[in-house]
Amino acid sequence: MEHPSSTIVLQVEGLHVSYGAFKAVSNVSFDVRAGEIFGLLGPNGAGKTSTLSAVEGLLQPQAGTITVAGYNVKENPLHARANLGVQLQATNFQPELTVAEILQLYAGIHGVPLTKEKLKDILVNINLEDAAKKRFGQLSGGQQQRVSLIIAMIHNPQLVLLDEPTTGLDPQSRRQLWERMESMRNNNHGILLTTHSMEEAEAVCDRIAIIDHGRIIAIDTPQVLVDKHRNDPEVISVSRRGKITLEDVFIGLTGRAVRS
Amino acid sequence: MFLLALPDGPYVHKSISKMPTTTIPTNKAVLSALLRADFTTQWRNRKSVILILLIPVIILISWKGVVDKMGGAFVLSNCITIGLNAIGLMGYSNAIARDRDKGIFQRLRVAPLTAWSIMASRLTVQLAMIMLVSTCVFIAGHYVDKITLSPAGYALGFAMAFVGGAVYLALGQAIVGLIKNAETVNAVSRLVYFVFIMVGMFAEIGVLDKLGEAVKWSPYGTVKHILAAGMQPSAWSQHSSTALLVTIGYALLFAALGIKWFRWSSK
Repeated sequence: MEHPSSTIVLQVEGLHVSYGAFKAVSNVSFDVRAGEIFGLLGPNGAGKTSTLSAVEGLLQPQAGTITVAGYNVKENPLHARANLGVQLQATNFQPELTVAEILQLYAGIHGVPLTKEKLKDILVNINLEDAAKKRFGQLSGGQQQRVSLIIAMIHNPQLVLLDEPTTGLDPQSRRQLWERMESMRNNNHGILLTTHSMEEAEAVCDRIAIIDHGRIIAIDTPQVLVDKHRNDPEVISVSRRGKITLEDVFIGLTGRAVRS
Repeated sequence: MFLLALPDGPYVHKSISKMPTTTIPTNKAVLSALLRADFTTQWRNRKSVILILLIPVIILISWKGVVDKMGGAFVLSNCITIGLNAIGLMGYSNAIARDRDKGIFQRLRVAPLTAWSIMASRLTVQLAMIMLVSTCVFIAGHYVDKITLSPAGYALGFAMAFVGGAVYLALGQAIVGLIKNAETVNAVSRLVYFVFIMVGMFAEIGVLDKLGEAVKWSPYGTVKHILAAGMQPSAWSQHSSTALLVTIGYALLFAALGIKWFRWSSK
């Protein structure tokens, strides 16, 4: 298969995911372009994780097509995953391995040669030069996120999935992570970001899709979404300080009820 | 400002459109990376490895007095069977359950590698453990209990240990497949281990009466029998061949159930 010339690095079309009778995702379509940070926002249980799992190839959708860098996830799963970098929510690395060993493992399974010098370069550039022999569990939350992100990027993928990457981070670490995301965007990587932080979505996302009850209910740039919905009665009713924010639009569109 | 460090250099600013055609890492490269990590993990868990080794060796030493009465092959086969039980039911099943619970498998599965390579690497580590337990028991048997087998006996003994080990690894896989919670897997595998060892050993010394005959065809009994028969090739009988077939059947059955029921995520 030839490398696609399109700048779309992720295309999701007509995605349906069900668990038994429960429809988690219904007819979801969106795309992520190279050099773009695309935010997927939704309340708990809205279908974000199911959508991400389908993109990662971890679950088989009932219908729809997903292509990563032009490779169909179902038909060419290895090629699709070779162009995909993933940072999952949990810190899921073997706790017995050191940071250097984890980097070597993931470089190895992506077929990336990693000499000692390159390994050192990587650790220096994520400010973890002294942590090479530390086990992953001994790192702080921010350090773990940096390692996790560099592993997602170790094979220079076209598409990077970041699943709530700033959850639990202090403001300094969060800002640093935003800068990293922007750096990745500048390097023409496409980023699919899920987050519960509207501040984060407004700060870094170029476009946003709001998903609820398995369906995309709005998709556009943060500013256009705010402008488009600033006069909706539901949005005005949840506004707290008179000024309409993305969070007001989000709550106005998805409702005030707390999801389990 | 932070810039991402990538393996091609400290800072990569090249456009994606200039990236080469997607290349998939070879199976050799993937397995090599996985094996290195899995063996390192096993090494870092060496306390549990030592425990798995110590139990059969201690039993072997404590049974020194029965070697003349029951025979060297009897003692060695019992000890190796206990070691194989520990590998499959205590070591392997708990490691798989823990890694599944932590999402380690899911993290690996989003990389460009096949599911079989993840499991092949894990099983290779367990095969090495089987080799290690068998070797330790043979060495301890030779130096402490003065049990010496023929070269063919040692060779067949190792071969039967791999077949027997497959039964308990497959049983461990079936338990992990059936039970999602890692703590429950731990409890159930310990219980099964204890029942297998106790019932198997009581049956061996003849205190279970008619039940003892049934136990001889249990996963404990058949594995113990093929190990003992393998260590004495001249005494290999029709019963031994049948026991070998039954053992292979157990391994296939448990493996089929383990594969059918297994889920990569505990959620």
